[in-house]
Amino acid sequence: MRASPDPAAEARALDRLTGVACRILESRGFERVEPAILQPAELYLEQLGEDLRNRTYVFSDPDGEELCLRPDLTLPTCRLYLDQHPEADQPARLSYHGPAFRYQTDADDPHRPREFHQIGLESFGADDAIGAEVEVLSTVDTCLASLGAGGTVIRLGDLGIVRGLIMSIDMPARWRRRLLRAFERPEAFRRLLQQLCTGAAPLPSAVPERLLDRLIADDPARSEERVQEYLDAEGITPVGLRSVGELTESLLALVEDRRAARLPGEVAGLIDSLVAIDVPATDAVTRMRTVLGSRRVELEGPLGAFERRLDDLERAGLSLRRMRFSAGFGRSFAYYTGFVFQFEVEGKGQLGHLAGGGRYDDLLEAAGAPRPVPAVGAAMHSERLLAMVGERLR
Amino acid sequence: MSVLTLAVPSKGRLMEETLARFAAAGLEIVRRGTERGYQGHMPGLGDVSVAFLSASEIASFLKSGRVHLGVTGEDLVREAVAPGDGRIEEVVRFGFGRADVVVAVPALWLDVDRMADLEQIAPVFRRVHGRHLLVATKYRQLTRRFFADHSVSSYRIVESLGATEGAPQAGHAEVVVDITSTGETLRANHLKVLSDGIILRSEAALFASSLSPWTGAAEHLKAEIAHRLGA
Repeated sequence: MRASPDPAAEARALDRLTGVACRILESRGFERVEPAILQPAELYLEQLGEDLRNRTYVFSDPDGEELCLRPDLTLPTCRLYLDQHPEADQPARLSYHGPAFRYQTDADDPHRPREFHQIGLESFGADDAIGAEVEVLSTVDTCLASLGAGGTVIRLGDLGIVRGLIMSIDMPARWRRRLLRAFERPEAFRRLLQQLCTGAAPLPSAVPERLLDRLIADDPARSEERVQEYLDAEGITPVGLRSVGELTESLLALVEDRRAARLPGEVAGLIDSLVAIDVPATDAVTRMRTVLGSRRVELEGPLGAFERRLDDLERAGLSLRRMRFSAGFGRSFAYYTGFVFQFEVEGKGQLGHLAGGGRYDDLLEAAGAPRPVPAVGAAMHSERLLAMVGERLR
Repeated sequence: MSVLTLAVPSKGRLMEETLARFAAAGLEIVRRGTERGYQGHMPGLGDVSVAFLSASEIASFLKSGRVHLGVTGEDLVREAVAPGDGRIEEVVRFGFGRADVVVAVPALWLDVDRMADLEQIAPVFRRVHGRHLLVATKYRQLTRRFFADHSVSSYRIVESLGATEGAPQAGHAEVVVDITSTGETLRANHLKVLSDGIILRSEAALFASSLSPWTGAAEHLKAEIAHRLGA
């Protein structure tokens, strides 16, 4: 680290870096937009993963409205697009650059500044999903190469594959929802898998067996009466928004959980082995097919898509030898739903993630679109790029 | 300016017990001027200036280093800084001012006994009611950390600065994170404490700030105070 960089030289370098990248984005047809820095807090807090939620600057304005400083530019770009196309009926290819804000405990960590810049691109509503993914990834690659940061390792993941496996396994829909929800937290996910194998978790101790015995699985109305009788007898007064009906439904689900067959150990083992796959991209599909064994049939959709995507990436001039596939990669990122990727410099530690992106098909709907809209995008981290190639630009 | 500044609670039982504990250790605190003054000193020890402050101010003065030492509740200190933060160090625990910071839910929720149960019903609640579970508390940071440790993420905090235990009944929130000594108030408000919902067993303690200007003389006074208080 240089002790105190010359601010004017830093500003010039940032301008040059931004200029190079933005010209490439615009020449590839990604129109530049200027999304708002101030964003409504609520939408962000709903959509972000745990990690970003606790690092977002939230505050009230003089009118009492809850706002936040954008922690990235993807959601602001979605909102800007929807302002213009409320029906989300027009495909769009947009690009941006500007500051983003994330709280970091160490205010002086040069690799994780609280205020940093991103240059990025988003593709909304493209019919050809793989085509859009390949285009976004290869455009980022061109930007990085033009800046002198080419040839990095590209880590690939696909959240659709593990999701696909969970969806294909026969189990109560409720378990499936819980597994999908827990997937973003590796520890919780492992615990839950184990729990579903060894038998449902022990009952909450406040649930009396004699009440559960009196519930009637296919008769919520009569079950609710019996829960009400129990509450009256115990002198429990309902408070809060959650009703006796909701409680009854939840108790009926507990009864059902206990009756449901356990998840076979080999199925849990299969999920574990799939998530643990971390191989050169060229081996990814073979390895997944081997691990999946006879279950690969159900996953032919996502596996075939992954293969086509690799072929198209190669056809677009990207060497597969640079790419590594990790099945669990991207699980804890905010709002991604499918293909994810990251450009990494080996041996650079935290400095190493120069850019990343992926598919997020649910976000536009969450931001107000009338239906899910296919979307894929990526962003480059200006400060990390500057740290790597800044000398040439200063 | 004094060599060392010590902040003590300015009112209530916490103040009385603090002054009594210091006096019993031969560290009598004498107020300057009137009985109601907010400044004091410690004639038995030396150049110590004593500030009478509210318990929550003491926590934030310790965090910023405006006082060297302070007596306050552990709950307020843990709310002000994360564990391992290093800005505030515990010197000696006092055993009084005991209270637990707990997670409480309506007694109606027979299906929720542990944080893991809360994690399960939270997304269902959100589907049914179109909004997150609301947690009323004045302990924003303690709540965030504890809920994150238990993988509960589908919730929002609503700030509550008084009568928190009444929030569910008033319909302002479903869950409460609050301080309790016997649980009586919570029960009276039709709430129950989760079996693994004790966030912190808090008591009053003497804390030191690492950001204060620590001269050799200040260190010496601190060591003497700690020694006499039985640290």
